[in-house]
Amino acid sequence: MGGGSPPQLEILSGEERNEKGDVVTGYAVILFILIGLTILLIAMFAFRPSVTSTLTGKILAFTALCILPSVCLAMGFQVHMDRSKQTQFCTSCHAMAPWGKSLDVDDPHHLAAAHYQNHSVPTDQACFTCHTTYTIFGDEAAKLKGLKHIYMQYIAGPPKVIHIFPPYNNRECLHCHSGMRVFEESAMHAGMMDQLKTNTLSCLTSGCHDVVHDTPDLAKEKLWRPGQP
Amino acid sequence: MKFTALGFNRLLRISAVFVILGLAVETGSLLWFHPLSFVTFALLGGLLILTGMAAYLFSVLLFAASPNQNTSSNR
Repeated sequence: MGGGSPPQLEILSGEERNEKGDVVTGYAVILFILIGLTILLIAMFAFRPSVTSTLTGKILAFTALCILPSVCLAMGFQVHMDRSKQTQFCTSCHAMAPWGKSLDVDDPHHLAAAHYQNHSVPTDQACFTCHTTYTIFGDEAAKLKGLKHIYMQYIAGPPKVIHIFPPYNNRECLHCHSGMRVFEESAMHAGMMDQLKTNTLSCLTSGCHDVVHDTPDLAKEKLWRPGQP
Repeated sequence: MKFTALGFNRLLRISAVFVILGLAVETGSLLWFHPLSFVTFALLGGLLILTGMAAYLFSVLLFAASPNQNTSSNR
């Protein structure tokens, strides 16, 4: 890893990750402008309702009070969906902080850390990339599950031992690894490919890649910081 | 109380207030980087906007059925 000038990495340490929330994106700016225009248009009708007496006024009022707010709602939903995929968003809950920190563990045997630090997953969507379900409406299902997390965080209280809801499906690993040369040509993987693809042998709990986040032992681990050897 | 007694203009203003409040909540939720921001957006912002839209459509239908009362109440 050392030698020469260090590459420009976008990886953030745990603390920086929580501080740097990508609040306003380009898409959100367009939405803010649209919301502003909609409010102005609606305010005009609120102050001068007589404008609606003409056919043009009626069409404009329908646009301002029905069509534009619907568009704003749909775009707002999309912005929230995109934002909730961000690593910072997932680790913004106090209970998830150790899982965020585990991405910085300086040990290539830690699966999540190795994927994150080597950009095997997009670093800004590190959690979501592995924890979504790669099925039709998988993203939406993952986000609905996120509402359950909010319920547990703010109403029921986080459990003493946090664990993943359903058993982890190999499908999520194979979404990227399937077809990957280094994976397909590995003698170890080739011998068990059918079992892996039918999810009868877990990638994570079969003793091969069983160190994923390992949060209980996090205090003992050395943490890696970008740009430091 | 009959809704027609309120007049189209007042119902239009009420629906406008709901939609503007909803859009303001949506803007706030987009600027708030917090897990609860989506809940605020969907439950509060969405509800206000949908209520405003429903109120507007209701007033349009109501006064389309009885256009002679269209200008009752304020300007």
